[in-house]
Amino acid sequence: MTHPSFALLLLAGLVGCATTIPTELLSARRAYAEAAAGPAATLVPADLHRAKTAMSDAEAAFVDDPKGYHTRDLAYVAQRKAELAQALAASAAEDAQTATANAQYQTTQDAIMLDTKAKLGASQSDLASSQNTVARTQAELTASESARAAADAQAKSAMAALAKLAAVKEEARGLVITLSGSVLFASDQAALLPSAQTRLGSVATALLATKERPLVVEGHTDSQGSDAYNLDLSQRRAESVRQFLISQGYDGGKIRAVGIGEARPVADNANAEGRANNRRVEIIVSPPVASTP
Amino acid sequence: MTFHSFLRGALFLAAPACATTEALHTETSTAAIRSAEDLGAATVPQAALHLQLAQEEMKAAEALNAKGQEEEGKSLLLRAEADAELAVALSRADADREAAIVAMDRVHKLESENPYSPGGAP
Repeated sequence: MTHPSFALLLLAGLVGCATTIPTELLSARRAYAEAAAGPAATLVPADLHRAKTAMSDAEAAFVDDPKGYHTRDLAYVAQRKAELAQALAASAAEDAQTATANAQYQTTQDAIMLDTKAKLGASQSDLASSQNTVARTQAELTASESARAAADAQAKSAMAALAKLAAVKEEARGLVITLSGSVLFASDQAALLPSAQTRLGSVATALLATKERPLVVEGHTDSQGSDAYNLDLSQRRAESVRQFLISQGYDGGKIRAVGIGEARPVADNANAEGRANNRRVEIIVSPPVASTP
Repeated sequence: MTFHSFLRGALFLAAPACATTEALHTETSTAAIRSAEDLGAATVPQAALHLQLAQEEMKAAEALNAKGQEEEGKSLLLRAEADAELAVALSRADADREAAIVAMDRVHKLESENPYSPGGAP
């Protein structure tokens, strides 16, 4: 408090001792003290100063004319000015709160937008990755189907070629190509006849179209002679055919030669025609291995 | 006629004109009362009270002035101005309070409707 203000209050106090202080002035003093102690001092100092000036005017008027109507009116005005400063301080505080909330709203909105963009980017990346995977799988599937179709066509073509050279039939164990023993070998011999090599050469050419499939070459005889002898002869004949196929380019590791002897006749051994049918070589082409998806 | 007697006569004639009531300057009070009304002071309890006081005080000031009590009227008009000014401020404070509540509600609503990770990654 400044010295003049203090002196004014002191003087007013002295006057007050002698006279009754108007209610308006007492109310004004209370209102000003309350305003000065509140947020108005920091938020609206200029308005508080105006209230202080009005208070000084009222106090001065009280000194001049303690009971005058003008003193009471100025005190009333001073009270209102103090209340005005408080109301303006409240407004300033609310304005500050609104500004803070608006800033927070903007910050939150920006953060939400960034978060949403990040999530959207991640989703788009996942989607692109999934689409690539689908496209790759489809391409692989298409290639696989094409390869299978080509292999099937090749197999059909080979089978058609084989059907012209020998008896061909589908069995559970695979494709069975039966060649007559009398065409391939001289009686009681395991070496291929020169004429047989031409026909067997054509068979080998057809088989090479599906050379990834394992082969079993089975030698069969009629029932004439001992079992052991027939078993040995059929084994040697099967081996001769195996060696020929290897010489034509087939992978030896995929061909197995088996002598069956007279154990599995296909015709009656009692007559010449039946025995001729039983003397044979069977080439079994294993079914294609199912491709894994 | 001497100069002095002329002057005396002239002053006598001018006297009634000086005795007529001087107009009360209510422009400031009237403008403040209108502002308070425009700001909706009638709907804000505290502001409505001061608006009513201002209106009554202005009428009373005009009545005093009309009765020739010009100084009393002028002094009372100060009360009307102060009350009207306070009514305006109280109306604005109420509106500011409402605005602050709306702004804070808006933030709470935004945050509750959009849960997000401040770090960015989900």
